[in-house]
Amino acid sequence: MSVTIAILSVCMLISAVSVVAARSPIVSALALVGNLITVAAFYAAMNAHFLAAVQILVYAGAIVVLVLFVLMLLNVKGEAGKKSDFILRVGAAIIAGFFLLTVVPIWDGWLGLSNLSAPEGTVRAIGKLVYTDYVYCFEVASILILIAVVGAVTLGRRARIPNIASE
Amino acid sequence: MELLILGVKVFVLFNIIMGLSSFCTWFERKGSALIQNRIGANRAGAYFTTSIAPLRPAFFVVRWLGILGVINTLLCDAVKALLKEDFVPEGTSTVMHALGPLLAVLPVFVAFAAIPMAPAFTIGGVTILPQVAPIDSGLLFILAMGSLAVYGVAMAGWTGNNKFSLLGGLRAAAQMVSYELAMGLCFVTAVVIFQTLDPYQMVRQQAGSIFNWGIFSQPLGFFILFIVGMAETKRGPFDLPESESELVAGYFTEYSGMKFLIFWLGEFAEIGLFSLLLAILFFGGWEIPFITLPEGLWWAALVGHGVLMGKVIALSMLQIIIRWTLPRFRFDQLMSLGWKVLLPLSMVNLMITAAVRLVIAQG
Amino acid sequence: MERIHTILAIAAITFAIGAVGVIVRRNVIVVFMCIELMLNAVNLSFVAFSQSVGNLTGQVAVFFVMVVAAAEAAVGLAIFIALFRTARSVESTSATELRL
Repeated sequence: MSVTIAILSVCMLISAVSVVAARSPIVSALALVGNLITVAAFYAAMNAHFLAAVQILVYAGAIVVLVLFVLMLLNVKGEAGKKSDFILRVGAAIIAGFFLLTVVPIWDGWLGLSNLSAPEGTVRAIGKLVYTDYVYCFEVASILILIAVVGAVTLGRRARIPNIASE
Repeated sequence: MELLILGVKVFVLFNIIMGLSSFCTWFERKGSALIQNRIGANRAGAYFTTSIAPLRPAFFVVRWLGILGVINTLLCDAVKALLKEDFVPEGTSTVMHALGPLLAVLPVFVAFAAIPMAPAFTIGGVTILPQVAPIDSGLLFILAMGSLAVYGVAMAGWTGNNKFSLLGGLRAAAQMVSYELAMGLCFVTAVVIFQTLDPYQMVRQQAGSIFNWGIFSQPLGFFILFIVGMAETKRGPFDLPESESELVAGYFTEYSGMKFLIFWLGEFAEIGLFSLLLAILFFGGWEIPFITLPEGLWWAALVGHGVLMGKVIALSMLQIIIRWTLPRFRFDQLMSLGWKVLLPLSMVNLMITAAVRLVIAQG
Repeated sequence: MERIHTILAIAAITFAIGAVGVIVRRNVIVVFMCIELMLNAVNLSFVAFSQSVGNLTGQVAVFFVMVVAAAEAAVGLAIFIALFRTARSVESTSATELRL
């Protein structure tokens, strides 16, 4: 195991735990940024340079900025001390256990994975794939984004919500 | 050996960044004084050298540096900032407070790593590319790092722990996010023109005739990117984040001393970064019109670097002069300029460029 | 051999952590962030498999996941703001009415 991968793994786990465990949502958001950048570093380590750049640009540079924006705008404080239900915690532990079980076949090598290195994920190679084989997916994705924009604008409009006046 | 070369590259790059931001700091002070018909910083010199005869020439130099305001703006201000109280507002953690300036400066410095500073040269049998990180998709990397600079602003506004700096932080973050779109589209247009994402190859393609320069194929792209650059660096007529007289200075209200100065360092480094990008995308980087600099010779690299820095300094000065000439936008004007004018313009520019490129490729 | 396995294991553990967060946390914005965490874990394993199989299709899938995540963020955050307007809180327990 190379040193880079080891360091990145530790960073990844620490930041993931802090996203879930941090009391303040702002700290969670910052930990998420750290996690996303670590994932980008993983991509770069696996020669997926295009994805590494897009990961930072889209996830860290746009999505989490929006989340941070909303957190600051609404001035969300940490959860007010009450712990969640016991049942929920047990359920979470069980589900996490099931997901963690997937690690077993990976380590035992049931999947028969080899370490062929993929053709480098350069912009040219990915772009060629996206605009030829997956061009319909690309078009559908653009329509999806258009729908999301319209939906967000509709939801965000104040005039449609009569409750505001009564508060 | 490779590690040593990398270390030297990083050291040189760091000095270039610091030099550029120092120049911008000085010109911001002295140039603005000139524009506004003030005298500006002009009295600081080491007068103690007068009494010792052999040191007279040194005294002469120091005195002129003082009169030109170099010592005031670079040395005295830094010392003053270091000696000031480091104030942390009540109710925020010290770490979070320190994170603001750090996150504002770090991405800008990292983005410099992907920019080539001169043509490659060979010394003692080793070919050196004057670029810290020769990334194949360098332009994408710079764009990604630029998008991270928002965090510093947002964090600074939030850790101020009062309404004015929070609103200022949100205002500045909204400004940076909105103008990023037009910037990305301008980069894509440049990529369509040069057919590569590597800044080094882009400069190579602009060698030879002056009409190879990007500005002749992309005049509108240059115009948009220049405006967007001034908005992204929160400068020029777009400096709402720091308008202390009407909007209570915004996100860095609660910062003092060195932390405050670090925000300024980040801002001036951003001016340098944008001027470098403009020079590389539109003004042929280190290439001199009608002369192609040979690759592999150390003096060619030196000349190329000088030419590039000359272009960068001219562009930085232009930005500072515009900043001190035009009045500020209102926030709604700023938003409508970004979303209703610059974004559609850059989209149209991209479409036309792509169509022309396709026609050329077909024919 | 070792490297792919490590990365897949890390992705699985991160996914589990994200799932725990989705169940345990009540602040909807934090829940949203945990979903992003899970998406990232899946993306990471996509890229690892893509490298293991020697095929770029996995990376294209990650690209589309990012597009969907961006759309999700736009709509999700608008819903959070609407929720905050009606309920004055962003806790999932306060979303008791079927309207905004």
